[in-house]
Amino acid sequence: MQQLYDTLTQRFSLGEFTRQRADLAFITVEAVRLHALLRHLRDQEGFTHLVLLTAVDWLEDGQFQLTYLINNRAKCQDLGLRVMIARDNASMESIHDLWAAAATYQRELREMFGIDFPGSPRLMDDFILEGWNAAPPYRRDFDTLEYSRATYRERPGRETRDPAAHMKQQLYGDKGDV
Amino acid sequence: MSISDVLSPFTAWKNLFRDPVTIKDPLNERPGAARYRGFHKNDMDKCIGCGTCETICQNGAIDMLPVEGIPAVQGDSGLRPRIDYGRCCWCALCVDVCMTGSLTMSNEYKWVESDPDLFRFTPGVDKKYWDNAELGYQRHDEKHLMPVAREEMPELHPEARLDSFVEIVQGYNIEQAKLEADRCVSCGLCIATCPAHMAIPDYIKAVRDGDYERGVQLLYETNPFSQVCGRVCTHCCEDSCAARHEGDPIAIRWLKRHIIDQVPQEKVIELIGKPAAPTGKKVAIIGAGPAGLTAAFDLARLGHAVTVYEAQAAGGGMTRYGIPEYRLPYNALDRDIAVITAMGVEIKYNQRVGTDITMQQLEADYDAVVLAIGLHQGRSTRIPGSDHPQVRKAVDLLRQITAGETIDVPKSMVVIGGGNVAMDIARSMARLQLQHYGEIRVTLTALEDKAHFLADPVEIKESLEEQINILDSRGPQACVIDDNGKLLGLKTWKVLSIFDAERRFAPKYDPADEQIHEGEMIVEAIGQMADVSLLGDALTEKLEWNRGRIQIDPNGRTSENWLWSAGDCVKGPDVINAVADGHRVATSIHRALTPQEATA
Repeated sequence: MQQLYDTLTQRFSLGEFTRQRADLAFITVEAVRLHALLRHLRDQEGFTHLVLLTAVDWLEDGQFQLTYLINNRAKCQDLGLRVMIARDNASMESIHDLWAAAATYQRELREMFGIDFPGSPRLMDDFILEGWNAAPPYRRDFDTLEYSRATYRERPGRETRDPAAHMKQQLYGDKGDV
Repeated sequence: MSISDVLSPFTAWKNLFRDPVTIKDPLNERPGAARYRGFHKNDMDKCIGCGTCETICQNGAIDMLPVEGIPAVQGDSGLRPRIDYGRCCWCALCVDVCMTGSLTMSNEYKWVESDPDLFRFTPGVDKKYWDNAELGYQRHDEKHLMPVAREEMPELHPEARLDSFVEIVQGYNIEQAKLEADRCVSCGLCIATCPAHMAIPDYIKAVRDGDYERGVQLLYETNPFSQVCGRVCTHCCEDSCAARHEGDPIAIRWLKRHIIDQVPQEKVIELIGKPAAPTGKKVAIIGAGPAGLTAAFDLARLGHAVTVYEAQAAGGGMTRYGIPEYRLPYNALDRDIAVITAMGVEIKYNQRVGTDITMQQLEADYDAVVLAIGLHQGRSTRIPGSDHPQVRKAVDLLRQITAGETIDVPKSMVVIGGGNVAMDIARSMARLQLQHYGEIRVTLTALEDKAHFLADPVEIKESLEEQINILDSRGPQACVIDDNGKLLGLKTWKVLSIFDAERRFAPKYDPADEQIHEGEMIVEAIGQMADVSLLGDALTEKLEWNRGRIQIDPNGRTSENWLWSAGDCVKGPDVINAVADGHRVATSIHRALTPQEATA
């Protein structure tokens, strides 16, 4: 994999290289360089299969990380390309022209993270969240509990106790002068 | 077409004799996968009702409710989680976070009912057929959502601390304290166990938020001795900590110290605010220890005029004159006391009640009097030779060391006792020996065997690090004195048992196993009692007593309606209990002094 990286660096401006295993490595790359790099890897280096496309929300850094995992079937190698994009108005170039299946991943990322992929087919169609009207749920600032409280009805008859308050009442509450 | 292409369809026949991977009768048998996240199980013997499952549930599916037959006790709220399966999404976060590992999941998922309310039940209490299911979701053994290991406290190594009384425990820095505070799940089980019921989860949250001023305010709501308790508290709260079940309990004591260490004294006084307007009532308190000064603090804040009479030259009582400086530096204690006097409390030092002023005088001059005199009189073994001048009491020696008096440091000595006071005097004298002679020769003999020592484990560990020769199961028989009257050492026999069948103190020895431990000095550290001579004969006669202690009601009031008593002298030795006791008598006195409020 190191050899591949060395070859690639002669043609592309690449970021950090991480060799995870003998058959798995990651390369960080700028968003604008991704499409050309993927095309080269697919057509020249034998990485013909898009394994997956996923995202990580780095909330504190104001960034999303996109990970494109591609596979070279002949050499049994996996290569992950990591792209950091701004979290605000997140948008990324579509790769559906390289792999048609990418459109599905991009639909999912649009729905779950709110990342736009201009030109990607059926991007705005519901993926799994039919009729979703709240913030994209995989964003880390999405408050699951709050959504649950606002969306779902409380069954009647529910009550709860705070452990510390309950223990005070049971064990040592102020009983006044005795 | 090759021969293999012809034969290969027939190779499928070999599968004919294999066990099928499909389910034979899918309409009736539908087992969940081995690690399927099915209905919950809860082990009632392990659950402590901390409610962390409820807190983490992202669907609001869990309620904490009392269960008949499970009372609230120290370290267990008695509440148990009830799950609403109309909301549960089977994510297993509750299982992953469970502080005791009691909450688990079966792989059972098939259950049909027409009444939806049946799908809300308390696992482990409401019996289900999957309660004993062996399969189901298993959380990862090593991966805990909350870190299990306590943030290590920086401490001086024995070489660096042994030749002085410099403080051993260095305190957390802000980063360490935040990491430790992060381990707390804010369940609040600790509050009931703390004698002063401090707002522990709230002040730990203040550490997480870095809001130390809020932290100080929370500490002072229940305890004006946070410098002291942040260092030497018996921290029984940590025995009730939910984190102790699968890791180290949160270092509650060290976090308290961290908060108070972060805020300058002037700011502390400003944060607490001014006392209430004067009420015109006067209260006298005898003894400037934690109990007396806590009562003084509370009463002064309520607007009463408080005067404290202290026999020694400085305040703090046993925390100053009993606890060595390497555990509790005097300047830390001084900071606590300075905040109390800033509330208008007047402390009269070197004023011994009974000698400089009588109880009768206090009764006449004040609206209420609090006796908080602690336990400053050492008990004696009364073995032959124990009246030798070189046989000393630990409390007397510790007081002398604090007061800065010159002590004739013995080249070798023997300590009798296995409690914290014994360790305190052994370690203090070891320091003095090292300073004077460059070597340590201290032998400590305890009645108990090592497994039953009364001292804190950390005291024993540090004593051993400091070259104290600790001998367990040794019963003192006599102080050995030569013909010239010189003390040579202590004779002990091996202890066979300490208590009789009725659990009464009745030690049995093996005289055949006799040892003489060399010592120019012997120190008795076998317990203390209150010096009640200050009361005078008339008052002693009038008061009601209970096994040598002054009889008090649950509010600390004695049989004389003007006199209350608090702290070690009536409750036994412990700082945080003394603080709690100080609050108790202050509340009671305030009620007594303002009857119209009490009846309102």
